[in-house]
Amino acid sequence: MSVAIIKLKSSIYFILLFSISLLSITFFNNCSPDEQKKDSSVPKADTVKKTNEKPTQISYTVEIQGMKFVPEELKAHAGDTVVWINRDMVAHNVTEEVNKTWSSSVLKPDKSWQMIITKSSDYYCNIHTGMKGKIIVE
Amino acid sequence: MKNTRKKIKTWVAGATVLSVMLVSSAFAQTPKLTDPEIASVAVVANQNDIGFADIAKKKSKNADVLKFADMMSADHKSVIDQAVALVTKLKVTPKDNPLSQKLTSDAANTRKMLESKSAKDFDKAYVDNEVAYHKAVIAAVETILVPQAQNAELKALLEKVVPILKMHLSHCEMIQKTIK
Repeated sequence: MSVAIIKLKSSIYFILLFSISLLSITFFNNCSPDEQKKDSSVPKADTVKKTNEKPTQISYTVEIQGMKFVPEELKAHAGDTVVWINRDMVAHNVTEEVNKTWSSSVLKPDKSWQMIITKSSDYYCNIHTGMKGKIIVE
Repeated sequence: MKNTRKKIKTWVAGATVLSVMLVSSAFAQTPKLTDPEIASVAVVANQNDIGFADIAKKKSKNADVLKFADMMSADHKSVIDQAVALVTKLKVTPKDNPLSQKLTSDAANTRKMLESKSAKDFDKAYVDNEVAYHKAVIAAVETILVPQAQNAELKALLEKVVPILKMHLSHCEMIQKTIK
């Protein structure tokens, strides 16, 4: 009797294993390679690029010419760089106007100075006080 | 006493008007100038203003006037340096001419007038002269020097000077309003 039961159990296990194997083969054969990529937990190459990409930092140029900052008003983002180039025949400087929190050294003709922008500022040339400019951080 | 004050005031006003007339008269006629002569006029006009600024730095106690005089010395020296660099490059030798001679002699009279001023009257005389001088020089550069300059680089240099002179004019006009 017990021998018959053992044989029966073995048959059931065999049938179960066979069925599982068949189902697995059928499932993977029906899946296209693309679908396998889509379901994969490994991201596509372009996704990796976007994930690791830092916000773009732009470098802007303000030319000092004709006793003016050109452009007089500049919209930028925090982290962007602004380069001031003196194209005039006389020396200038670039100085934060309200609290004098930052200032370039004296910029002789054809010299430049740059700064990474952190916040909006009104600035001017404290040699020629009528020359004014503005940076707006968006 | 009142009469004496009145006389002094009249004399100061007269001297100021005279200095303005002297400045303007140098440019009154429209001479024909060559490039070497234009270069000479440009250098002399800048040197004159440096000379006036030197007197201001010696005589004035007014912070605005002193700052303006420092700016005049620095800016006009910078313009001369670049004008000299250009004429050297172009192998042009600035040539003395009736206009540059008149500018020089008028400036000598203006310096005399400024030197003669008391500390009290100096600031007004200096600033009034700066206003008149810059107006006259701007007009001369725009109507005589730029149109007559033949060399393109010399013409471009003269054109670049105009906004500097206009900035100086608006600055000294601002100071003029604060000095009585």
